[in-house]
Amino acid sequence: MSKKNKIYWFEGVTEKGVKSLLTDENSKYRWLRSQRNRRILVSVMTLGFVLVAMGSYWPTLKTNMNLSDGTAVVIYSVSAIFVIFAVLIGYLLLRISVRGIADAPNELLDERQIKIRDTSFRYAYYALGYLTAALLILMIYAPELKLFEPEGNDGSYLIISMLFACSSLPSMVLAWRERDI
Amino acid sequence: MLFPMSRNPEEPVYNRIEEARTSLGLTRQDLADKVGVHYQTIGYLEREEYSPSLVLALRIAKALNQEVSELFSQTPFKKGK
Repeated sequence: MSKKNKIYWFEGVTEKGVKSLLTDENSKYRWLRSQRNRRILVSVMTLGFVLVAMGSYWPTLKTNMNLSDGTAVVIYSVSAIFVIFAVLIGYLLLRISVRGIADAPNELLDERQIKIRDTSFRYAYYALGYLTAALLILMIYAPELKLFEPEGNDGSYLIISMLFACSSLPSMVLAWRERDI
Repeated sequence: MLFPMSRNPEEPVYNRIEEARTSLGLTRQDLADKVGVHYQTIGYLEREEYSPSLVLALRIAKALNQEVSELFSQTPFKKGK
């Protein structure tokens, strides 16, 4: 009889899921594990975050492009769905590419994996600090961005992009740094 | 460099894990299963890119039927010894 699959709610992983990624059971994802492909994925994810953040500039873009309301709604909806879907798929692929190590609890990892996971969180924390500082500078020097105000450019897309980045940064650092995963 | 590559910057610990493992006819996966780590961790150890904790060193020595001092050293091992 198979052991019950333990769910780690806080980390957002399951025991079987992590164990499956740590072994080479899923050979269809092996192509993702080369450092080159992991770095490409990190670069694509970064581009995705920038595209999500660009949503804040939509009202300006719409005005500059002289779009009718109907066309604007279609372009906006299709773009939003496509970009968010792509970022979510990218996030899942990123987790697979690093074998879920960034999100796994201690009890499912060995001592080296715990060490590289913790180091990736340390660098991710630094990166988040720099990103937050960059966001703050952007808010100061781009006053047309009005956070959470429905009129004009809405800076909340920058916050959404930051939230995506927060959840992905440890895996991104891990994917970028490690030679073998 | 923004995110320096993962390397062991500490004082190196030399080992003869690969030699002892192959003499017993074990694969990296076999040894990994015996000591409860991922097979890539065995690779990192054999390439001396990762220094194990004392507990892991003891487990590896036991799995390879050797003393810790025979497997690990702070100075390079002489070849064939």
